[in-house]
Amino acid sequence: MTENNQNKIKKSDILSWNKVTFDKILQSNDMIPENFRGKISLDPDKDFVLNSQIGQNLENICPTNAISYKNTLESISLDVGKCIFCGNCQQDMPKLIKISNNFDMAKKRKTHLLEVFPESVPFGKTYEEIGDELKNKINKTFGRSLAIREIDAGSCNGCEIEISALTNPIYDIEQFGMHFVASPRHADLLLVTGPASKNMEKALKIAYESTPEPKLVIAVGACACSGGIFGKNYATTGGIDSIVPVDVFIPGCPPRPQAILYGIMLALDKI
Amino acid sequence: MNNKIIEHYLSKLEQLEFKFKRHVQNNNEIHIELEDSSQLIEFCNILKLDMNLRLLTMIYCDERKINHAFSLRYLLGSDTDDVFLFVILFIDKKHAYFPSLSDVFPSSIKYEREINDMFGIQTQGDTTLKPLLLHDFQKNIFPLRKDFHANTELNYTPRKFKFTPITGDGICEIPVGPIHAGIIEPGHFRFSVIGENIVNMETRLGYAHKGIEKIAENMSINNVVFLSERISGDESVANSMAFCQAIEKISQLEIPEKAKQIRLLFAELERIYNHFGTLSGILNDIGFSYGASRLEILKEYVMQLNEKLSGSRLLFGVNQIGGVKIDISNTSLVDIHSMLDNIFQNFEKILEHIQSNSSVIDRLRNTGIIEKQTANDLGVVGLSSICTGIDTDTRKNHPYGYYSSINFEQTPRTYMEHQVKLQKRIGDVLSRFMSRVDELRYSKKLIKSISNLETGEINVPLESKLTPFSSGLGYAESHRGETLHWIMIGEDNSIFRYKIRTASFANWSIIEHAVLNNIVADFPVINKSFDFSYSGNDL
Repeated sequence: MTENNQNKIKKSDILSWNKVTFDKILQSNDMIPENFRGKISLDPDKDFVLNSQIGQNLENICPTNAISYKNTLESISLDVGKCIFCGNCQQDMPKLIKISNNFDMAKKRKTHLLEVFPESVPFGKTYEEIGDELKNKINKTFGRSLAIREIDAGSCNGCEIEISALTNPIYDIEQFGMHFVASPRHADLLLVTGPASKNMEKALKIAYESTPEPKLVIAVGACACSGGIFGKNYATTGGIDSIVPVDVFIPGCPPRPQAILYGIMLALDKI
Repeated sequence: MNNKIIEHYLSKLEQLEFKFKRHVQNNNEIHIELEDSSQLIEFCNILKLDMNLRLLTMIYCDERKINHAFSLRYLLGSDTDDVFLFVILFIDKKHAYFPSLSDVFPSSIKYEREINDMFGIQTQGDTTLKPLLLHDFQKNIFPLRKDFHANTELNYTPRKFKFTPITGDGICEIPVGPIHAGIIEPGHFRFSVIGENIVNMETRLGYAHKGIEKIAENMSINNVVFLSERISGDESVANSMAFCQAIEKISQLEIPEKAKQIRLLFAELERIYNHFGTLSGILNDIGFSYGASRLEILKEYVMQLNEKLSGSRLLFGVNQIGGVKIDISNTSLVDIHSMLDNIFQNFEKILEHIQSNSSVIDRLRNTGIIEKQTANDLGVVGLSSICTGIDTDTRKNHPYGYYSSINFEQTPRTYMEHQVKLQKRIGDVLSRFMSRVDELRYSKKLIKSISNLETGEINVPLESKLTPFSSGLGYAESHRGETLHWIMIGEDNSIFRYKIRTASFANWSIIEHAVLNNIVADFPVINKSFDFSYSGNDL
C-alpha cells in the first residue's frame, strides 16, 4: 500500500469514533480502492483490432458466458448482467476490456446491460422509453420515504451481506428516508437476490403479489440479473425477470453497497 | 510423522476380524473395501467404539460408466489424528438399496435423505424418508445421476411436505418462512408451542438449492474455483481453498510457500469479519443495538481492508489452482498488522462494555443450550461443537497449507475445554459468543505470527493432465467449521463428481435441539449464535 492510500484511510477514519456516517456516499469515491473490480466496459485502445482469435479466446475464458463473439458480424458483446467480475478477461485482453472502480452500473432495461463492440447505432425513441416516462410519473407517488423488503431467492448470501451493510452506521440508508421492513405487505420496493431457485419461485411470486401497488422490483447482483455463474439449470430459473417484472438491474458479484444505493436511486429517478 | 499415524491405524485395522482390501492415497486417506458388505454396520460400529472415529460425510457417486455400479463412500475421520478413512460400498443393479448407519451414527440420516433425493437410492427397508432438497420437482428425477442433464426442463407440481404432527391440549403451530423478517436467507421453520415455550421445531431447508454439485460437472476446473467461492458468499476463501487443495492433492502440485502464507492471511481475515458480523447480529437480536452498531463498524472496516488488498469486499477471486492471484507486499503486511491492532483495541473496549452489561449477559446465559452427547451424535463441527467441549478444528487436527508450520499448543479450543471442565461453558448462546471472541483473538494472533512474507512466485501452473477417475479430499476450516470437498476427476481434466460438505450441512440439525424449552422470541438469537449458512446447506 502506498503512502497516498494510508492518507485516504485516515480521511475516513472510522475508528476515531467522531463521525462515522458518510453524508454523500455516492460522491465520496475516495473510499473505494483503486483495485476494486467495478464498472466493466468494452473500451478499446486506438490500436486495437478485433480478430476472431481474440474473440474466441475471450469467449472461452469467461466462466459465465457473459462475453460472446459473433463470427459473421465480427462483433463482440459483453453482458454486464452475467458478469461475476472475476477479472479474467481484463488480464487476457487489457487493450479491449477496462475495469474501473466506479459502481454506477445499474440499468433500467436488461438490454441496456449489453455492450457491443463495434457499436450498432440506436435509432429513435423506443416504445419502452415512452413507457419509462410514464412510469416516472408513477414513481412520484412514493413521496420522500421508501419501504424496502429484501427477498433472497437462493443467493449465495454475498448480496445479503452487502444489503445488510447498507443498514450499518457507515452507509446508513435511513438517512435517505429508506428503511427495511419485515413484510412485503409493508413494502414499496422489493430487492431480490439470487438466481431464483425453483424452490423459491412460488414464494417470490406470492411476495410480489402481496406487495401493494405501486411497487418497484430491483434485481440485485449477477445471479438475479441473469442467473450469474449458476445460469439456468434444472434448479434455477436464470434470473428473476422470468418470474416477476423487474424495474432496475444492478450488476455486480456482489454489488457494493453504493452500487445498490445507486440502483435504488435510479429506480426512484432521484439521480 | 504422518506415516507413523497411518501405520498405527493400519495395524489396528489388521487386528480386526474383518476381511477387506485397502490402499493408502494422498498421504492421509485410507480406502477400505469390505469383502462382505453385509458386515458394514458392525464394522463401522467397531471403528466408532475402538478408534473413536466419527462420520464426516457420505459420498454417493454414479460410477455405472466405470464400475457398473453406484459407489457409496462413508468418510470417517478422527478428532485427534490426521487421518481419513473411506469405507467403500458398491451398489449394483441386484439390490438398489444400502444399509442405514443411523443406529451407529445418527447424523447419517441427513446424508441418507440427500442421497435419496439426488440419486433415488433408498436405505434398506426404510421408505419413509422425507425429501431434503428437491421440493416441487416431478417424481423420479434424480439430478446427480449421470443420465440426467443439468439443463433438463422439468415439470413442477406442488407436493405437500409432511411435518411431524405434534398434537395435544393447547399446542399451537407457528409456520415461519421461507421469507424471513430480517435480511437473511430462505428457510422454513415449523414451531409447535405451548404458550411461549417451544416443544418441537422442524426445519425445512433446500430453498436455495441451485444444483452446484451438478453444474460443476459441466465446467472446466479453473471455472469451478469461481463456483466454489459462491457456495456460500461469506465462506469464499475457505471453500475455494478446500477445492484448490483437493485438486492440488490429486495432481501432487506443491504450491509456493508465499501462496500458503497469503491463503492463511485471507482465510483469517475472512474469519475475523464474519465473527464481527455474527457477534453484532447476536447483540442486535437481543435489542442491544449500541453494541451491534459498533461491531458492524469493525466488520465494515475489515471488509474495506479486504477490498484494499484483493479488490473484493468478500475476498472473491483470491484463490486459484496452484496458488493465489493476489500478491501482498511486506509493506501491506505491516499495514494489515497495524490496522488489526487498531481494530482490536476498539474491540476490547466494546467487549468490556458488553460484558459489564448485565441485561446482555442475562439474556445470553442459559439460552439455547445444547448437550455434548447430542452434538456428538449429530456430528456437529466447528464453533457449534466447541462450545460443548468437542474439539474439531481442522487447522489443528488436519493441518493444511501454512497451518502445518504453526504451533497449536494454546488454541482457544484447549482454553475452551478447560472452561467446559469448570462448568463455565455449557453450550449456551453465551458460550458461543465467548468462543467467537476467543477465535477472533486467535485469528489476529495467527495473522501477526506471519511477520515476514517469503519471496518468490505466488502461483505455479497446473501443467500435468490429471489422471481420470482419481480422487482427493480437500478440507479447510471456515468460520463455521470443517469444510470438506471431495473430487473425482473425469476425462479431459473435467470433474466427474464434486461432493461438498460445508460445516452448515453437518450442523443444521442441532438447532432443532437447541431451541427446545426456549421461548419463541429467543429463536432469532439462538439461530444467529450458530450462524449457519442456508446456501451452504442447500447447495
